[in-house]
Amino acid sequence: MERKLSEMDYEEEGVVKSIKEDLKEKIAGMGIRVGKKLKMLAKQPIKGPVVVTVDKAETSLGLGLADKIIVEIEK
Amino acid sequence: MKILLMGHPNVGKSVVFNRLTGARVIESNYPGTTIDYTKGWMQLGGKSIEIIDVPGTFSLEPKDKAEEVAVKMLEEERESIVICVIDASKIERGLYLALQIIEKGYPVVIALNMWDVTEDKNIEVDVERLRQILGIPIVPTIAISGEGIRELASKIEEASPIKIEKIMEKAGG
Repeated sequence: MERKLSEMDYEEEGVVKSIKEDLKEKIAGMGIRVGKKLKMLAKQPIKGPVVVTVDKAETSLGLGLADKIIVEIEK
Repeated sequence: MKILLMGHPNVGKSVVFNRLTGARVIESNYPGTTIDYTKGWMQLGGKSIEIIDVPGTFSLEPKDKAEEVAVKMLEEERESIVICVIDASKIERGLYLALQIIEKGYPVVIALNMWDVTEDKNIEVDVERLRQILGIPIVPTIAISGEGIRELASKIEEASPIKIEKIMEKAGG
């Protein structure tokens, strides 16, 4: 099942399937790239950022960014 | 020659900076912005060398003012050696930045800071293999306790520019 990163539920895990082309370089520096395993930790209210874990480290992304990342949900 | 301390925000650059300089520092504003950076001097081989604590940046494609300053400083100081400070527990993102700096032709030394955190989190880092692939000095450090800082300082002069193609070859494409 595929879903936008911004639409993942809490505690849900998945693998990054695709990233909008113009964003790839921008977020590679945050450790997020195709094939990476993510876990949704928190979504801040009022269109705030989402927080995910990548490689045991937390990172937060703006909702706009998270909208452009497609994740294959695993559990 | 100058030394630039670069790395992500919150990896301990300033602590490394204070350790290397003994905190004889001057705070200053980068012209045209309100982004602070710090510079100081350290003793290396009997000489006093200027060292700059560059604002944290995630990559060399700036996304905000602080990152713009960081990238501009790197470009203005072509003759510098870069100490890339990486949070050893978030190593992949740090290496991304380090590789970008290496690609631009700067001599780089990597400080794998917060080494104690990797042990706490049970993250194993094969430093020797990393040294083989990158071909540059890599030193695990714990800046807040001062561990590894002396070794880091002693490796600065060993840094030399490495061709990114060479690294790709050794990393297996």
